[in-house]
Amino acid sequence: MIAPRTGGGRAPDVYERGGWVTMREYDDDDAVDFVVVGAGAGGATLACKLAEAGFSVVVLEAGPFWRPLEDFASDEEAQQQLYWLEERLSGGTDALALGGNNSGWGVGGSTVHFSMISLRFRPEWFRSRSQLGYGFDWPITYDDLAPYYDEAERALAVSGPVRYPWGPPRRRYPYREHEMNAAGLVLARGAEKMGIEWSAVPLATVSAPRGKSPPCVYRGFCNFGCATNAKQSALIVWIPRALAAGAEVRDLAMAGRIELGADGRAAGVHYRRNDAWRFQRARNVVVAGYAIETPRLLLNSACGRFPQGLANGSGLVGTHLTTHAGPGVWARFDEAIRWYKGPPNMAVCEHWNYTDAGKDFHGGYAFMSQGPLPRAWAQLLVTERHLWGMALRREMADYNHMAGLVAVAETEPRACNRVELADVRDRHGLPVAHVTFEYSANDRRMQDHARRFMGEMLAAAGGKDTWTSDDTSHILGTCRMGSDRETSVVDADGRSWDVDNLWICDGSLFPTAGGVNPSLTIQALACRMGARIQALAARGEL
Amino acid sequence: MNEDAPTARFPGYDVLAKWDSPSFDGITRNTLAARLDAVPPRRWLTQDEWDLLDAINARLLPQPDRAQPIPITPWIDAMLHDDRGEGYRHPDMPPLRAAWRQGLAAVDDEARRLHDRPFVRLDADAQDAVLHALEGGRAVSPGWQGLDAQRFFIHHLLKTAAGFYYAHPLAWNEIGFGGPANPRGYVRLGFDSRDPWEAKEAR
Amino acid sequence: MNAAAPAHARPAARALGAAALGLALGALLLQRRRPAPPPLAPDRTAHRLYQAAALLAASVLSDSALEHYRGGFENPGMFAPLASAAVVLGCALRAQPASAPYATACAVGTAGLGFHAYNVLRRPGGLSWANLFYAAPLGAPAALTLAGVLGLAARPVAAGAPTLAGLPSGRALCSLAAFGLTGTSAEAALLHFRGAFQHPAMWLPVTVPPAAAVLLAGAALPGRPGPRRLTDALLKACTWLGALGMVFHARGIARQMGGWRNWSQNLLAGPPLPAPPSFSALALAGRAALALRTAQERP
Repeated sequence: MIAPRTGGGRAPDVYERGGWVTMREYDDDDAVDFVVVGAGAGGATLACKLAEAGFSVVVLEAGPFWRPLEDFASDEEAQQQLYWLEERLSGGTDALALGGNNSGWGVGGSTVHFSMISLRFRPEWFRSRSQLGYGFDWPITYDDLAPYYDEAERALAVSGPVRYPWGPPRRRYPYREHEMNAAGLVLARGAEKMGIEWSAVPLATVSAPRGKSPPCVYRGFCNFGCATNAKQSALIVWIPRALAAGAEVRDLAMAGRIELGADGRAAGVHYRRNDAWRFQRARNVVVAGYAIETPRLLLNSACGRFPQGLANGSGLVGTHLTTHAGPGVWARFDEAIRWYKGPPNMAVCEHWNYTDAGKDFHGGYAFMSQGPLPRAWAQLLVTERHLWGMALRREMADYNHMAGLVAVAETEPRACNRVELADVRDRHGLPVAHVTFEYSANDRRMQDHARRFMGEMLAAAGGKDTWTSDDTSHILGTCRMGSDRETSVVDADGRSWDVDNLWICDGSLFPTAGGVNPSLTIQALACRMGARIQALAARGEL
Repeated sequence: MNEDAPTARFPGYDVLAKWDSPSFDGITRNTLAARLDAVPPRRWLTQDEWDLLDAINARLLPQPDRAQPIPITPWIDAMLHDDRGEGYRHPDMPPLRAAWRQGLAAVDDEARRLHDRPFVRLDADAQDAVLHALEGGRAVSPGWQGLDAQRFFIHHLLKTAAGFYYAHPLAWNEIGFGGPANPRGYVRLGFDSRDPWEAKEAR
Repeated sequence: MNAAAPAHARPAARALGAAALGLALGALLLQRRRPAPPPLAPDRTAHRLYQAAALLAASVLSDSALEHYRGGFENPGMFAPLASAAVVLGCALRAQPASAPYATACAVGTAGLGFHAYNVLRRPGGLSWANLFYAAPLGAPAALTLAGVLGLAARPVAAGAPTLAGLPSGRALCSLAAFGLTGTSAEAALLHFRGAFQHPAMWLPVTVPPAAAVLLAGAALPGRPGPRRLTDALLKACTWLGALGMVFHARGIARQMGGWRNWSQNLLAGPPLPAPPSFSALALAGRAALALRTAQERP
């Protein structure tokens, strides 16, 4: 992918091979209403809502504008192209794996490679501190977000069970759950043996036709790009709507710096495209680069008025990085599982998200069944068990008989876990991000608990020779929202306390990580932000 | 050390037999054709580094059962030529190319210190001993200054080699992986259920 | 449809299935050894009943062949509905009155209901929406039983018998057809619910046939047979729905990823082609029943 695809009045039509949709274009020198940096779960969704509300929107995405039907090979190695592979430093006692572990690259962001798990937060988590005694309270409640969870689930046509066992009563998912694969049935079997509830995972991939999306064919390459468009990524859901509503998307456009005007408001974004630095003027800037690139851009936009980083009066930009710890348990089964078939995570247990008794830790975790493809599985085996030589080949030969459970476990937001700038520069000459992370004692106790519980469930399901692994997923919290400027970077609307035309719209917003995958909550937050911005504009408060 | 390759679990299974079936699409065929037929020549590693890496990979993923082994070294060389990493590194580790250059030299130095000979001239057991020392964090060479030997072994040498090995159709045949699947995915998803185009397990 | 039983239960189920298959084949073979009964005088109602039985049997044959192939014929009993439906098809097409093939179909269908219920209940989740969607369809074996009952009923009707199972034959047949239409509609409702009613036409088989069934059930009650023209028109609509459904299902298969080229997946995973004609079969039986009911009411 060398040359940008959008331009000349058109953008790729993701639903037609070689097809194009018309795209409105804006001049760099015309101050558009909103420049959105990042076209992922936050940026694409908000760009869509803003454009549909009549605002002029330009989206800058560092990566390419994918054509799923043509670009996505059924191949793990070739599809590494979906990930943010530009250099970053990652250290600390429990250094986070980045790249393909959690960082997407391209229009659609990480929703192009994500596992489509679409879960809502437990209502109490929005009041983690006051109701559950840990972490921080969010500046909004579950009830504030519920209508937008509805909206996001409908927009994504989430395919979920008729009755989801956890959470407040809710309307039925738009589409029905998928047929459970054997990997998921292992979790189900184990859970039933233990008398624990389990469920099909509500997935953002369709179980029946939807417009031009055919139903999922269970090819299993979800983490490497859906080549059929069954997966309802931001690329095929929000971006086409944004384009139709008059937004412009500029692919292969790396934002380098946000310019602050003399009036103390953001004036626009410097970005690099086609080997030249350009500057897009804007009345508002939305930063939606996810929890590493968003603080990085703000820190790289330091200026006289904000020497610690743009909009960083609180000093919190880049801090309180959270992730989801992902302890895993794996076992061999007599039956053939062939876990490469179907989405990688089809069954879930949220028992420990909704049960507070019997825990020696704060917070919650969900865990799901697994379906790693060969390259990913081999790399997990070698890094976690240090297998090599014939021992590795022998272990890999059991591939079709393996099943596993991996948790999505809430880590505590702490100032020591952070994103800063390194002395290293990338190919654009920009200082790269330096990420530091370590678990707290609480984080470790939670992971121990999860390993024990999941191990018990796998054994109950008939698993043999169980062993455990460590991992993480998702990155959150580095520009968190809050109720006052001392303890947060943005307010409940995602608006910077310091620069009132600067907004954040991605996983950086999360004051706490919760015990579920973040993509649905990010998209719901973006839908809410779109509505809030409309309301503010109507009142002249923009 | 048991040197026997694992018994064939899926005899007769060949992912590439599905080349013209609905399991393969154009982009996948192009991708795999390049992987199979366009194995890149040496462009970044020196000849000595290449030979050393070949010898290391032969211990990490031994293939005595193959007349034409799955190539690994050429793809690592290509990766280094393109400077295409994972997208992150530990602050204590040098950048990709520097890490590999230094690491390979240090592995060879390790061999010389342990056995008085370069790695490529050691027998398999001696080579394994060198690699085990790295795996166990028992490296002695000063060549590891600024580069964690264990991390280099696990996260660079081994992880990369395993990645390229299991990205090859022969490895997919070995483990009975369904392989490419577009537009045709899978119908039968349950326990002990196999579509006719999936690998049949020998019992 | 996948299998998820604990390993120890399956050998018992397989043994039962083998036994069922054996009994079914045995019954069919035994029947062949009896002398053929004399051919019946032509009779329109009976003729229609045989046609309905044949169409229903054809639908069951193709549907169970596809679904049991998908299930790998892992239980030998899964061959039984294919054999039984094939024989019913052959006999009904020739209006053969001997009862053994139809009685066998009733038995195989009933056994099938039991096997399918076991298939659903043994999976994690038991009687759950997921298992109703994706495990063995509870309603499908009933279609074979219905085909058998229609075939069994044709013979006495052809002989001019005034009653069937204690009811005037017209009313009895109206009840049967109404029941069949309702059950088939329920099956379509379940699967169209699974498909999220993503296309407006998916509402047709869950609205028109139940309406026809209600009116037909009304006609089965003692007294006046009710709005005959309307009932007949709705039944005619059901006949067309059978064909229209097949067209929609073919379009549905084309709409799946890879379309017809990916037939090895989409014939099994896509909307079932042979299912909609069962509405036509039951509508045919229903219209014949309605005509007989009306004739019997006129003094």
